[in-house]
Amino acid sequence: MDSARHILTSFEAALDNLRKDVLMMSSLASRSLENARKGLFERDEDWCNTVIADDEEIDALEIQVDNEGMEIMLRFHPFASDLRNVIAAMKTSVNLERAADQCVGIARRVRKLIVHPQIPACSQIEPIFQLSTAVFNDAIKAYANGDLELARTLKSRDKELDELNRNFAETLTELMPQNPDHIRSFLELIFIARCLERIGDQAKNIAEDTIYAVSVKDIRHSN
Amino acid sequence: MPQVLSDPATKSSYTTVKPTLDGRPDFISINDFSFFYGAKQALFDISMQIPERQVTAFIGPSGCGKSTLLRNLNRMNDLIDGIRHTGDIVINGHSIYDPHIEVISLRKRVGMVFQKSNPFPKSIYENVVYPLRIAGQNNKSILDETVERSLKGAALWEEAKDRLHESALSLSGGQMQRLCIARAIANRPEILLMDEPCSALDPIATVKVEELIQELKSEFTIVIVTHNMQQATRCSDKTAFFYLGKLIEFDDTQKIFSNPSAKQTEDYITGRFG
Repeated sequence: MDSARHILTSFEAALDNLRKDVLMMSSLASRSLENARKGLFERDEDWCNTVIADDEEIDALEIQVDNEGMEIMLRFHPFASDLRNVIAAMKTSVNLERAADQCVGIARRVRKLIVHPQIPACSQIEPIFQLSTAVFNDAIKAYANGDLELARTLKSRDKELDELNRNFAETLTELMPQNPDHIRSFLELIFIARCLERIGDQAKNIAEDTIYAVSVKDIRHSN
Repeated sequence: MPQVLSDPATKSSYTTVKPTLDGRPDFISINDFSFFYGAKQALFDISMQIPERQVTAFIGPSGCGKSTLLRNLNRMNDLIDGIRHTGDIVINGHSIYDPHIEVISLRKRVGMVFQKSNPFPKSIYENVVYPLRIAGQNNKSILDETVERSLKGAALWEEAKDRLHESALSLSGGQMQRLCIARAIANRPEILLMDEPCSALDPIATVKVEELIQELKSEFTIVIVTHNMQQATRCSDKTAFFYLGKLIEFDDTQKIFSNPSAKQTEDYITGRFG
């Protein structure tokens, strides 16, 4: 028996299209995160506007993935790994869309931030940005390759991101009384860090759905 | 002396029978069963325990042996020349191949519904009471009670109660199949075998038969052969997958269709077979 291809070619094509659309969403969401990073550190509003404009395409893809998933379930009644892959694709697209929304949130905050003079605290958000980007891209990689080992690392890395975000918010809150002129900038940075922490949550969710699709283990809400 | 498979007096022996994984008794125990049509071997060393009052589905590609095994459960295959078997099938603690077992008695205990409905060219009433008539039962009140009970059991009473003496051939395809189910349960069998019972029915009639299967399982142990995997997922508690005469996997239906253990099962149910 050849297990590589489905005997119904239209089913195989529909599964391929679904997967391609999720991977396209992943690329666009990853690019938005990178563009938001450039907007913040290059203090360039154009990158922020690009992130906001690109969100429309990601939203459209989310709807497309939902429709394709529904159609596959209606037409082909998938079972076993096919069913899990369709469910994982639909859930992953929701998480990608939410991550892209967080990028839009960052871009909007950056646009407000860069009208004020740059403050030294801005550089302190860089480790959070780096970790959030790494966690998100690894979640996408784990999904694309069905990489269980990589997917399993993401829960603890998301906790690390939570911790970095908490410390960052505490540090900036302590700095506020001494720098009352920059309170607006501090608040924007705290909100940006919170968006990055949320992107870590979406990445962890994608990893959990990948683990379910590949190994049937449901690790949500487990320690 | 002929032995009845399930004398109520022997029911207490259920507790001594080895339990299945979910704690229900092994009502039908198939042990190292092989079956041959002449020189051709159709089944290879099948061993499985079918629990009581649950629905067990047999699935697999054409020619995999699922119908052959089903037909062995009431020794329907005995009617074919040149057949032989090794191993054993035990129902309720008694081998169906025990020389003391009377095959007619076995078939009263193990009813069967076929792919194509096969009502006799008689009235609805006479179709239902046919098994009782050939057993010599002519007491009208018993026959009337049986007709009502069986037609209600087959979810056909409301549609047929005012036309009991009309020809069964005037019924629709779905009604005919439910009439055959009513006839199969008239004698109160313990086991109901169904060989693709919905394959000739439209979707509405199929839904009615599937609902009926769910209702009947409180009273009967049901074994169904189906090519329709959605039907297996909807109707059955356990599913057995057969391939080339071998039992590849037998497990809870949800497990088989969400996370089968054997690659061959996964390939078959996801359509990557052959």
